[in-house]
Amino acid sequence: MTPLIFTLKIKPQFSLDVSELTPDKLAKKNKTQIKSLKLNYGKKKVPVTDLFTITGNDSENVQILRSCDKLVCVGQGISHGTIEVKGNVGDLVGQHMKGGHITVNGNAGSWVGNGMSGGRIDITGNVEHHVGAGKPGDAFGMTEGFINIKGSAGDRVGDRMRRGIITIHGKAGDFCGSRMHAGTILVLDKAGRNVGTGMRRGTIILSKQPKHIVATFKSNGNLKMQFLRLLFTQFVAMGKEFTKFKNFDPEVHRFSGDLARNGKGEILILQTLNLKK
Amino acid sequence: MKINGVTIDDTFAEAFPMKATRIIITAMTLKWAYRAANALRGFASSVIACGCEADIERELKPSETPDGRPGISLMIFAMSMKDLEKQIPMRVGQSIMTAPTSACYSGLDSEVQIPMGKHLRYFGDGYQISKKINGRRFWRIPVMHGEFICEDTTGVTNAIGGGNFLVLGKTSRQVLTACEAAVEEIKKVPGVITAFPGGIVGSGSKVGSKYDFLSASTNEAYCPTLKGQVKSDLGDDIGSVMEIVIDGIDEKSISEATRVGVLAACSFGSRKGIYRISAGNYGGNLGPHHFHLRKILK
Repeated sequence: MTPLIFTLKIKPQFSLDVSELTPDKLAKKNKTQIKSLKLNYGKKKVPVTDLFTITGNDSENVQILRSCDKLVCVGQGISHGTIEVKGNVGDLVGQHMKGGHITVNGNAGSWVGNGMSGGRIDITGNVEHHVGAGKPGDAFGMTEGFINIKGSAGDRVGDRMRRGIITIHGKAGDFCGSRMHAGTILVLDKAGRNVGTGMRRGTIILSKQPKHIVATFKSNGNLKMQFLRLLFTQFVAMGKEFTKFKNFDPEVHRFSGDLARNGKGEILILQTLNLKK
Repeated sequence: MKINGVTIDDTFAEAFPMKATRIIITAMTLKWAYRAANALRGFASSVIACGCEADIERELKPSETPDGRPGISLMIFAMSMKDLEKQIPMRVGQSIMTAPTSACYSGLDSEVQIPMGKHLRYFGDGYQISKKINGRRFWRIPVMHGEFICEDTTGVTNAIGGGNFLVLGKTSRQVLTACEAAVEEIKKVPGVITAFPGGIVGSGSKVGSKYDFLSASTNEAYCPTLKGQVKSDLGDDIGSVMEIVIDGIDEKSISEATRVGVLAACSFGSRKGIYRISAGNYGGNLGPHHFHLRKILK
């Protein structure tokens, strides 16, 4: 069995919805059935063979090659299997994902992990806004799962997220963790303004002191927290990029809030070690 | 059958089904993990009156624990899920949570789960925080030393309790020395515990009593001081009997623990006052698991 590979053979001018190319939807389809699929391209439905060359046969392991930022809805709703993308992708990676693993070797657009309830997304590059956040009208952002971004992220990371973990190895934009219901966000470089604004519960861990923290957060002083030892030890098992957390037992400055929302959330600023050195 | 001059009785240990869980206790230092574990396993020698049987299974390296700190693996056995559900939050709450810097995690991956932190979280009086990491839910309970971390639930498995063998010898000192050596060997077998103090029972019991209010009473057939007074199982040469009771995850682990334990006791031989190895049973009517000594030692 070799991975089922879709190699993009055009330069898309419009958004290309690849939500059909998931292990869930390709399961039990033979090559003829796969070739007869049609994808939303702009306002039209276009045969997949006009857009991609298809090789391989293992629908549990899907690869999309020569991708570009016009490809949207990568891995929408997947519950098992893996999707690996080589190149950049557009918005809504892993939207409504329930399980499985999506890897994007490139940059991604906004709304990564929107409505996600399980599984793991790895992005090696940067992402735009609203990672793990809920769309307007959604009750919550992501409710479970793990999003790992090796680059930087835009604004509103984890807005209204309900549960799950987001790690950002680079910078995060403004309003990181705004209106969080619960969950954990880790930012290993600078975070923008208004971190955690309106959060009710949840944990935001920053490796650098942000320029300002909103007035409705209360300082709890410097602490060593057992929970972080547990969290970082668990991270070590999640991939090579987390081995730096082995035996990591940091002191943090804890802020609790957002008190304007009777919040029981926390912002933890690592004090003892700057991992980016 | 004789091993090193020690007679192995042609008999069997009779064991019964139990439910078991394994928990992992960590702390800032191994010393404090031990203190917490010892507190939990205190008064947990027999289900007859303690509600459960518990003992330390082994020490864990920091690399083996969920939070990377030194830890202890501890097993707890009870007669039913209901008993276990009652004992776990009570013992973890009073013995682990109260020990400074301690944390408590599930050490058994199983579909069947019973509450642990799920009940204890209320100690946080509304300030408790739940965290789900890698599919496992943990509770962060604010306490005076910082935070007490406790996993939401712990796994339960079917298990076997009451595996046993008796060491019969000339004097208490000789039998105790042989039993200590046996327990040391049994500790090396994974998935088993010897819940009695030091792993050795000095007052083995029989089921029932002449008194209505007692469910267990002294096993007079093996009491050296009653030789001649009752129908005794002891010869003239036997001056002391001690029992090693083994609870385990499965028949295989109990058999292996019995084997290494008996061999260790027999290594002292008849020249050092160890004369017989026997086992406790109730004629095969009480428990479905029978551990035949000669078969195990073959």
